[in-house]
Amino acid sequence: MRRFLERSLKAAFPIIIGYIALGLPCGILSNAAGMSVLQVALLSLILYSGSGQYMIASLWLSGLNPLSIVAAVAMVNLRQLLYASSLLQYLKRSRRLSAIIAAVNVTDESFGVNIARFQQGSWTTHLSFAVNCWSQLAWIVSNIIGALIGSMVNIDTGIAAFAITAIFTCLLLMQKGRGDFVLAATAAAVVVAICNFCDLSNISIIVGAVAGIIVGSISRTRFQGEGNASESGDF
Amino acid sequence: MPWIDFWIILSLTALCTLLSRILPVALFANRELPASVMSSLEYIPVAAFAALVANDLFTPEVLLAGLLPAALPFIALVPVVVVALKTKSMALCIVVGVATFAFLQWAIAVLHIGM
Repeated sequence: MRRFLERSLKAAFPIIIGYIALGLPCGILSNAAGMSVLQVALLSLILYSGSGQYMIASLWLSGLNPLSIVAAVAMVNLRQLLYASSLLQYLKRSRRLSAIIAAVNVTDESFGVNIARFQQGSWTTHLSFAVNCWSQLAWIVSNIIGALIGSMVNIDTGIAAFAITAIFTCLLLMQKGRGDFVLAATAAAVVVAICNFCDLSNISIIVGAVAGIIVGSISRTRFQGEGNASESGDF
Repeated sequence: MPWIDFWIILSLTALCTLLSRILPVALFANRELPASVMSSLEYIPVAAFAALVANDLFTPEVLLAGLLPAALPFIALVPVVVVALKTKSMALCIVVGVATFAFLQWAIAVLHIGM
């Protein structure tokens, strides 16, 4: 048990740093948008979505009606469909109920950390769920602290958000460097940039990711031959 | 925020997000997927991370912000890439990235005041 907690906590450690950096300003912003500490805690516990909670706070501040806020958050979080599909092959080794529970509190970051460990082997459904829970705990606590200190401190959201960008960059560079993977990544990035500049930022991540998956799948046959040669070579 | 608005927002966003998180697992946990689907799933992580990084770099505000602030995250990412390739340590990437980003932001502010 102790070993289990240690392994999962070690894997979750970078996420915890990132979530403290991002959770504090999220709590502060939510508080500034008129949410009580209890409301911030409930959002972090039940919704548990960084991008979702930032959107709710800033869209509510801008005076958007609740149903439009819901639609925007639902669209942004559609990308979760991809994470669940990707984790499926590893989670389905466990019983169905365990697999579903391990999918309940997956985030961009915990998906990344868990999928990297699954790919290396020796990672389990239970360990991945533990990583998700450590991450959520860090998120809830830092959001509550952020809401409590409110406007007493001024944290630069740009700097805090860059902690998460660094995590995604590291995760990206840990992927295989084979040609079809590079093409998939390039296509995804280009489509996201185009979507964001065309005022489609709500759906840019899922559209970009799907474009990358399609490009990767199409180009697969061309690069499969070199697969064994550069299997371990990264970007 | 009034509780009625809060509950509408929380319950509906949480429901949609939960469905996105569990539906693929709930539906397909007991089934064998075709090989073509399985091989496409392989590209999800790389495409998703590339999309997430690009989303942080190419924000809609970048166009309005001006060249220097827009270039800042790109420059700050250079040491992150080096550290990621050398160490594969996410924690180290965060520290190096945030430190570089904060320093550059400070340097830009100082330059602006200087001019």
